[in-house]
Amino acid sequence: MINLSGHSSVLTHDTTTKLAQPGTRESFGSRQEVSPSDVSDTQPTLLLDRVTKSYDSFTAVNELSLTVRAGRIFGLLGPNGAGKTTTIRMIVGITMPDSGRIELFGQKVNPRLQDRIGYLPEERGLYKKMKVGDQLRFFAELKNVHGRAAEESLDRWLLKVKLTDWKNKKASELSKGMQQKIQFIAAVMHDPDLLILDEPFSGLDPVNVDLLKDLVLELKAAGKTIIFSTHQMEIAEKICDDICLINRSRKILDGSIRAVKSGFGRNAVALRVAGGDDVLEDAKLVAKLERHSDDVEALLAPGADPQELLRRLVASGASVAKFELVEASLHDIFVEKVGGDA
Amino acid sequence: MNKFLAVVRREYVQRVRSRMFVVATVLGPLMLVLFTIVPAMIAGIKTGGPVRIAVVDESGRLYERVRQSILSDSREEDEEDESAGEKAVSGAVNQNTSDRLRKTGAATAQSYEVGQFATEGRTPAEVKKLLNERVKWDELDAYLILPGGILENGEAEFYARNVGDLFTKRQIQDRLTRAVREQRMIERNIQPGDMREINRPLKLKSSKVGESGAEEDTGQGFYMVFILGFIIYLTILMYGQVILGAVIEEKETRIAEVLFSSIRSFPLMLGKLIGVSLVALTQFAIWGLAFAAFALYGVAMLAAQGMPINLPRIPPTLFIYFPLFFLLGYFIYSTIYALVGSMVTTAQEGGQLAMPVIMLLVFGIYLAFPVIRSPNSTFAFWISMVPFFSPITMLVRIVTQTPPFWQIALSLVVGFATVVLLLWLAARIYRVGMLMYGKKASLPEAWRWIRQS
Repeated sequence: MINLSGHSSVLTHDTTTKLAQPGTRESFGSRQEVSPSDVSDTQPTLLLDRVTKSYDSFTAVNELSLTVRAGRIFGLLGPNGAGKTTTIRMIVGITMPDSGRIELFGQKVNPRLQDRIGYLPEERGLYKKMKVGDQLRFFAELKNVHGRAAEESLDRWLLKVKLTDWKNKKASELSKGMQQKIQFIAAVMHDPDLLILDEPFSGLDPVNVDLLKDLVLELKAAGKTIIFSTHQMEIAEKICDDICLINRSRKILDGSIRAVKSGFGRNAVALRVAGGDDVLEDAKLVAKLERHSDDVEALLAPGADPQELLRRLVASGASVAKFELVEASLHDIFVEKVGGDA
Repeated sequence: MNKFLAVVRREYVQRVRSRMFVVATVLGPLMLVLFTIVPAMIAGIKTGGPVRIAVVDESGRLYERVRQSILSDSREEDEEDESAGEKAVSGAVNQNTSDRLRKTGAATAQSYEVGQFATEGRTPAEVKKLLNERVKWDELDAYLILPGGILENGEAEFYARNVGDLFTKRQIQDRLTRAVREQRMIERNIQPGDMREINRPLKLKSSKVGESGAEEDTGQGFYMVFILGFIIYLTILMYGQVILGAVIEEKETRIAEVLFSSIRSFPLMLGKLIGVSLVALTQFAIWGLAFAAFALYGVAMLAAQGMPINLPRIPPTLFIYFPLFFLLGYFIYSTIYALVGSMVTTAQEGGQLAMPVIMLLVFGIYLAFPVIRSPNSTFAFWISMVPFFSPITMLVRIVTQTPPFWQIALSLVVGFATVVLLLWLAARIYRVGMLMYGKKASLPEAWRWIRQS
């Protein structure tokens, strides 16, 4: 992708600003030791260190620490009201944390950094009476992208989402899905280094979900960092590299999706089998049995070996049509971790 | 700064381009004309023919004079009034009812037919009975009985089918009075012309002793203050709602969060205020130019016909103070609208909350009166320092008895500082309020939102 806003790459930018502001890190003194997850070799795009934000007596975000690595898709997951949106608002500089530290591109968050962020909030809209082109140009100006650069970018993006013909139409003439794609363009057209998408797919039909998903992956391939907030685990599972699950204003778990899944000690097998019922009902092997239409899902007893189950089934003379080790899905993890509260 | 300008441009371009703006700009003056001229025309619609009046002259010497007086043009009556200018002031400030009746009556230009009714020896009771019949049969509309002692005791009787017609009654009374008055003069050997000469009021030429010792006419400056008050009032009436709408727009369309991820709330608020204000200024400039063109054309026409042209003499300092205080007044009241807009979620809610704002403005116009009477009192000083009233009261002081410069400067500084403060409050409430969608702020909540960031 063409770098139209003229930003230097993330790394060089960071080093220059750090040299220019040697005092910023110093001022945090004893808080120098960062959260343990901050061990990546490159400079993280975003760093939250024990960030807390309360409204009156309600604590929206409590001692939240997380690291978002450059060039990856980071899923900020959690049920409604967990504190996702408040966290995002602190990152984009709409609100300030009560305590804790937020570092973006190696600097303390400040209004100048807003131009390098693209934000698609969950609460989003368009100026109804304004033409699509006019309002996109306005949003670009608010990110300090003007003139030809803005025009080229907006044409390119309209083409990508197949709305070129709608450039001179008023927003009120667009369908909800089209409006959502325009809002997405408003978030990405200034070529931000960090893109934050809050529930970007809600209300979209499957075709547009795929279209938007592909665009997000394209941005990732171009080296952009993407924070993706949702409570739809199926989509998160498909596109996120790293996740952080928060509930009731606190972090429940975080890490790469691989690590999270393997760390989640769930041992289940999906089966399609004729016979062998006595084997499946052996409490030493199978803790719980769920029968679906043709499949059976067997949750293995702690310490049980799936290979042992397969051997016993074959030995019992049952005909096994399908035997698949099932990894815990994000959905399962979400329900398990949050289920009791949500 | 770029972002601020982007907001200003968007607000301005979107509004000036809208069909509403074009329609309002073209139709505005037309509507004004319509609303001032049409009611007068409707009130002046003549229904039916002239009022037919029979006069029973029991004194035997008044009929001809009364007939002439009733038939005479109403304009002569005004000669007896005080000088027209004074009249205009009292009319504008506090028009009393009889005054208004007389004016409206004159405007309707009711015409009359007058005839004498010879008694031919009939008793007054018989005469009345006969005339009542004729009124009933619609041969007459009214009749006047002038008793024999009318010149001494000044009493006459008026019978009409429609005594509810106050204008006619008033006009008959005035004209009868004039006839009787003239008859009395003649009987005392005074020529009516002489009497008019004797009664002519004197003109009090008022001049202001300025600091330079130069004499200035204060009258015109005084009118300017009222015009200013009126223009501020009109502007706020027209554009207060627009500002309210502009502030609420992003809340209603839920764009606010995107904006706040790009621009801080204060430049956003300021940009909106300036953008809408430029729209108002554009509209006023168009109207002003159109008006000036017409006025110049009119003056040129009159001058060509050899009419003496009296251009209003306005002190030159007013050309500086007038726009300054206009802007101050405009911005103070429009920031209140912005503040209200920041607290509510829909324009309807805001409209209700903004009503007291208009009250405050009207209050300020009335406060001008005690200030006119004693422009250098302590009261006048303090009231001209209160930002909500200073645009009018300080200007009144400037045209009546110019206060020291530091007082003028102080009131301007206090005023514009208030504008900035109000805008800052609005920006803060707006930003925090936006984070809680669909919630209207109560005053204590608004205060809490101001303190937390």
